[in-house]
Amino acid sequence: MPGESARLRKLRDRLQDAILGSVEDAYLNGHPERRLPHNLNISFAYVEGESVLMGVNKETALSSGSACTSSTLEPSYVIAALGASTELAHSSIRFSLHRFNTEEEVEFVARRAIEVVKRLRDMSPLYELAKEGVDLKSIQWKAE
Amino acid sequence: MAYSEKVVDHYNNPRNVGSFPKDMPGVGTGLVGAPECGDVMKLQIKVNLETGVIEDAKFKTFGCGSAIASSSLATEWLKGKTVDEAGKIKNTDIVNELKLPPVKIHCSVLAEDAIKAALADYKEKTAAAAPAAR
Repeated sequence: MPGESARLRKLRDRLQDAILGSVEDAYLNGHPERRLPHNLNISFAYVEGESVLMGVNKETALSSGSACTSSTLEPSYVIAALGASTELAHSSIRFSLHRFNTEEEVEFVARRAIEVVKRLRDMSPLYELAKEGVDLKSIQWKAE
Repeated sequence: MAYSEKVVDHYNNPRNVGSFPKDMPGVGTGLVGAPECGDVMKLQIKVNLETGVIEDAKFKTFGCGSAIASSSLATEWLKGKTVDEAGKIKNTDIVNELKLPPVKIHCSVLAEDAIKAALADYKEKTAAAAPAAR
């Protein structure tokens, strides 16, 4: 088991570094060290979690939010409790690695996630506003 | 979550993604939803000022695949319609076309709100630009 934990941790760190190293405004949810070795949870600002999953899940099994809330549309209360804003909780993705995952798979998933987030940001009104220098909190949102 | 083929198609090949300058003549902009709710749609129409026909429409959406599909479909439907015809598009039309499940009906409601907001913005702008014509 200690060997397996170390192996997973290395793979997870690789995934984390690949994603956080190339996507701006992406944030790690939870503690950087004190977490399960196979678990990674990242919020991608300006894109909604479920839409990211739809792009990446053709080949992989990711989840939005935490495992506790995957059947509802509510943002994860777990991620919110870890300190993320409601907006960023809507943008969180959980990556869970398993015993048979390989380095190639980790690199593949990182590439896919980076691609999908870029594509979705190109069609995100929030990303456009942020790039124009608008403070999203200054807008009077017309909710349903 | 199972998505209908049409939702997947709009997600993979969204129609009319983009933006017009807000102050361009004939352009109406609707921005609806809220980041905390997980859905924001920006929908714009470009109206021919002489004929009153919507010549072009664009959208940008922050939201799930069904929200993206609802707004993408809305831009397709808006093109070629008059401003009055556009006001008659109902969220239920979008639900039927995309086969949205009950949990995703709010996406179609938001798309209808976005259409209405864009039309209202267009009307307000054109009325302000040509007060003598009234």
